[in-house]
Formats: sequence, C-alpha cells, structure tokens
Amino acid sequence: MSDKKGSELGDFENIVKDGAVDLLNKLEVGDFSGAIKIIQELSEARHKSFYNEVGYLTRSLHDAIRDFQIDSFDMMASSGDAESASKITDASDRLNYVIEMTSSAANKTMDMVDSSVPVASELQNQARELHKDWNRLIQRDLTPQEFRELYKRIDAFLKYTDESATTLHNNLNTILLEQGYQDLTGQVIARVNDLIRDVEERLVHLVAVAGRVDSISGIEHEEKEFERDDDLGHGPSIKQDNNPEVLNNQDEVDDLLSSLGF
Amino acid sequence: MKILIVDDFSTMRRIIKNLLRDLGFTNTVEADDGTTALPILQTGTIDFLVTDWNMPGMTGIELLRAVRADDKLKTIPVLMVTAEAKRDQIIAAAQAGVNGYVVKPFTAVALKEKIEKIFERIDSAK
Repeated sequence: MSDKKGSELGDFENIVKDGAVDLLNKLEVGDFSGAIKIIQELSEARHKSFYNEVGYLTRSLHDAIRDFQIDSFDMMASSGDAESASKITDASDRLNYVIEMTSSAANKTMDMVDSSVPVASELQNQARELHKDWNRLIQRDLTPQEFRELYKRIDAFLKYTDESATTLHNNLNTILLEQGYQDLTGQVIARVNDLIRDVEERLVHLVAVAGRVDSISGIEHEEKEFERDDDLGHGPSIKQDNNPEVLNNQDEVDDLLSSLGF
Repeated sequence: MKILIVDDFSTMRRIIKNLLRDLGFTNTVEADDGTTALPILQTGTIDFLVTDWNMPGMTGIELLRAVRADDKLKTIPVLMVTAEAKRDQIIAAAQAGVNGYVVKPFTAVALKEKIEKIFERIDSAK
C-alpha cells in the first residue's frame, strides 16, 4: 500500500519536473499565457496530491485507532473485564503485576533470610560453647559433674541441630520456589514487548505518511532533541558499553571519585 | 547512631536495612523520597543518611542539596546508593557534597567499605 502511495508522490515529482521543462520552453519562446497556465496546472497538481496524502494520512490514522479498538474489544470479550479498555491499559496492568510479583518474591525471600539468620547464629553459638568444653574433655580437664552435664548438652545440641537443619532446609526450599517469579514475569514482559514493537511499527508507518504530506506542503519541522534532566535520574543503565558517559561498575565510580579528590 | 534510609522501593530499603544491621547499625528509620525524608531529618535525630537518587517527588540529589543548604543538617554524612551511573551525575553528586557513592546492583562488601571509609574520614577530621 505504501509502495503505491510512494509512486503517487513520485508522479507528483514527475509532474513538477515535466512542468518545469515546459515552463522554460514556453518562456523561451515568449508564450507567457502558456507559462502561467502551466504554473496553475502545477499548483493544482500540488493541491490534489496534498489532499490525497492528507486523506491517506487520515485513513491510516483512523485504521490505526480502529485496530486498537478491535484489539481491545477482543480482549474485553476474552477477559470479560470492561475496565481493560485497551491493549495499552492491559500492558500497564501486566507490568504492574510484574512489579507486584517481583516485590512479593523479594519480600518472601527476605522473610526467609530473616528467619534463617537467627537459627544459624544460634547453631554457631551453641557449637562454639560445646567446642570449648569438648576441648577440656580431650585434655581431661572436666569434673565428673561437668562431664555428666556435657553429656546432656551434646544430646540437646544434636536434637537442636536436627531441628535447625530442617528449618533451614525448608527456608531454602521456599527461597528456591519464590524464584519462579522470573519465569512468570519474563513471559509477561515478553508479551508487553511484542505490543510495544507492534505500536512502534504502526507509529513509524504514520510518521512516514505524515512525512509525505510535509514534503508536498513544504512544511519543515524543527528537529528537537530531548534530553532528560540528570537531576530527575535515568534509572538503571542498559547496554552500558555503548555509552562512554555511563560508568559500568563500582570500580569505575571509585576511580572517577578519586580523580575528583575523594 | 541513627540512620535514615531513603528509597522509593521497600525491598531495597529492607535490603539496605538488613545489611546495615549486619554491620552493627540496628537503629534505622525509613522514608520513600526526599519530601518525606526532610521532615525526619529536621527532627535533628539522624546521624547518617543513605539515599537513592531516582525517586518520585523529591529526588536524592535534590535531598542532598537541601541537606547541605540547611545549617542544622549540612554536616550529616550522606551515602548515595543508586542505579544512576552517568559520569555527569556522579560529578554533580560530588559537587553537591556527597560523602560516598555506591552503584546498584551492589555487594555487601562495597556498602561496608564505603560506610567505613566515611566514618574513618569523619574520625580523622575530628
């Protein structure tokens, strides 16, 4: 479809080229009324092409909007959720779901760490205490009374070790299972990514059509480059190697800071 | 030693809080951006500030500048823990008077090292 439109634009260019040659010929032979007529014809051809292109742009825009609506109707029909008004809203919901899932996984993992750390510390304390007395036993430095107590403490320690290992084992398993968020969020992000690519393709197409309108109407747009303020932050950098202005790790940050006298 | 942790993500606040606890700093408070952090700082009970950069409302760099501009707060040591890693940003933070800069993702060792370095400097300046 765009090829056809491209050739129409080409037709307009050919009309202008041919007209220019005719115009020069008429002027050379002194046929001014013929020259004016050609200028009028060229002007009409420009208007016609212009309206054709604007019409095409309007239809493309309309199609793009309609496509989105169809998509959203499909989705509403499948999910039965009237509030999911568009694919974009849906994508936004999906990304919120990713935030919730990652947050929940991180919190559960930290809960497990929080409940494991005291168990490990207690095991360490008890083992150290026992070890001290165990060494005294090896050196035959224990009274019979102390020996009887050590006997009981070792029994208690073994029991506690067994229980603690079970607790730690369960906590580690919970941490392992929590990592399942990566699979689920990965799938969601992949789908949102597809949508973004789809939207981009349609927008690029619209921009191309609008560009043809500009070229016929002679409108020129000032190219503006927007750069986000450093103060507002840029978020984590991705593909850092491509940007010399972004530092890749703590060592590079430290080097920069020490070069500044830190 | 009371430490204020400022980050808009509660998980990151919790990670930093746990790491600080491992380093022996058990007295911590939290805020989710500069706007909520400033009133806590102004109570005068905070001895150390750990802040993210990219936050809604008031960002970390704005908070740092506000702290340095306030006569009562300007001596508080500030450690930035952030994903922001542009050369210009780090220079801006240094110029604004940051005491340490840790880039995310970070290790417990890196955080410990920077905090210890800050306290060493403060002690030697006394």
